[in-house]
Amino acid sequence: MFESQCLEPSIAFENVEHRYRVILERRDTIREAFVHWFKQGSHYKEFTVLRDFNLTIFPGETVGIVGRNGSGKSTLLKLMAGIFRPAGGTLRVRGHVASLIELGAGFHPELTGRENIELNGLLLGLSKREIAQREDSIIEFAELGDFMDVPVKQYSSGMYMRLGFSIAVEVDPDILLVDEILAVGDAYFREKCLARISGFRERGKTIVMVSHDTALIEQLCDRVLWIDAGGIAADGPPRDVVRQYLQAAASPNPASLVSR
Amino acid sequence: MLRELFQYRELVWALALKELRIRYKRSSLGFLWALLNPLLMMLILTAVFSTVMRIPVKNYAVFLISALLPWTFFSQALTYSAESIVGNGELLKKVAVPKAVFPVAAVISNSINFALSLIPLVLILALLRFPFHLTWMLMPVPFVALVLFTMGCGFLFAAANVYYRDVSHIVQLLLSAWFYLSPVIYSLDFVPARFQPFFKLNPMFYLLEGFRGLIYYGAVPSWHLVAASLLLGGIALLIGLVIFARYQDSFVFYV
Repeated sequence: MFESQCLEPSIAFENVEHRYRVILERRDTIREAFVHWFKQGSHYKEFTVLRDFNLTIFPGETVGIVGRNGSGKSTLLKLMAGIFRPAGGTLRVRGHVASLIELGAGFHPELTGRENIELNGLLLGLSKREIAQREDSIIEFAELGDFMDVPVKQYSSGMYMRLGFSIAVEVDPDILLVDEILAVGDAYFREKCLARISGFRERGKTIVMVSHDTALIEQLCDRVLWIDAGGIAADGPPRDVVRQYLQAAASPNPASLVSR
Repeated sequence: MLRELFQYRELVWALALKELRIRYKRSSLGFLWALLNPLLMMLILTAVFSTVMRIPVKNYAVFLISALLPWTFFSQALTYSAESIVGNGELLKKVAVPKAVFPVAAVISNSINFALSLIPLVLILALLRFPFHLTWMLMPVPFVALVLFTMGCGFLFAAANVYYRDVSHIVQLLLSAWFYLSPVIYSLDFVPARFQPFFKLNPMFYLLEGFRGLIYYGAVPSWHLVAASLLLGGIALLIGLVIFARYQDSFVFYV
């Protein structure tokens, strides 16, 4: 049983192609659409973010992703999370995914922290029963005290993030996707989050994290991908890949990043 | 898509309840507004049409409200569901969740509102000493047809609104025109015979007629009417679902 799980990848990209549509001249109204129709112009431009992209991540791996802004890191994570569907190729994801792409994304400002736990948990794919079982540990981890019964619109951004993180990690996913979310929050809570992520690692869960904090990546990950211009520029042990990435970033000619 | 919806049924329900809770949370009268709204609307229309316009209908208040309540459900549920995808756009960019949950939740929350609005209806009937017909028990039949139809239109407009933001304005315009062209404040008998065939092209004619028959006339609807309304609901839902399913993957680029 365990062996077969090890052989079967958690995440497998096979020749995946992803195009991102950027609306250049928004056709927000029918009048504009009408004008455009006569001009025969296309209203959006498609950027091919990934082309023939191949990547396999096995259970238990902690993979860090580094790269410049706009290189496709977050797109990769959103594909894994199922927010985007690939335009071509196959993408297989095995197991329950929890994406910490943006904490508290589904919070409703008028609802209290406690009420938002249920709503957010359901959005993340938990059942009501599972949420009820986890509610106490979520509240305990967030350490928000009386603020649990205050509408979240009155929360500070740090409190918001605390609650969001607490819910997301209690989902207890097989695959955890983390996008640069540890930036907010105080040092104390950050340590707590890191401990929780390490705990995931020890239990053999798959973690994929995007961060510009290369020190953090080196500390937490056992494999690092350097993504550039929608392709993998390097893939390997954290220390090596991070060094290559930093060297390239420091080079005076940014074009060398694209051509490696 | 339907399987996803079933899988996320608890979320749909929670979203529907949330919508109601938010709608009434900050008001001191709270849920009473769900009861007061149709009541006030009915008072105004009854005053205008039975006193000023003198429509010769006995118990006009009951005649009116029996079609006005389902109409109000339709118009509110459609307004809410048409906005539901654009309104939850930020969420769709960050959480992988079946998109259909939003329009469905909008229709469900308005169904609950409809059920609540039956309370003032009962009060009015009691006040007017209007008889309660046994046919009330059949109310779920026209309601199911109406929900199917509303859901279909909701899916369609929710998807269209993602690409063209004018849709929300068009829906409002459409609804007010539709209101006067549907037999809510009048019935088909008032329409000159030569125009009647055109009025029968309106799906709302069949969908509302069932309610008025059950509440006002105390008559069991003909199976023709039941079949027509269920069929219309089914067709609308099918069209809405197909279009929504066809475009839902690219919503995330436009919201």
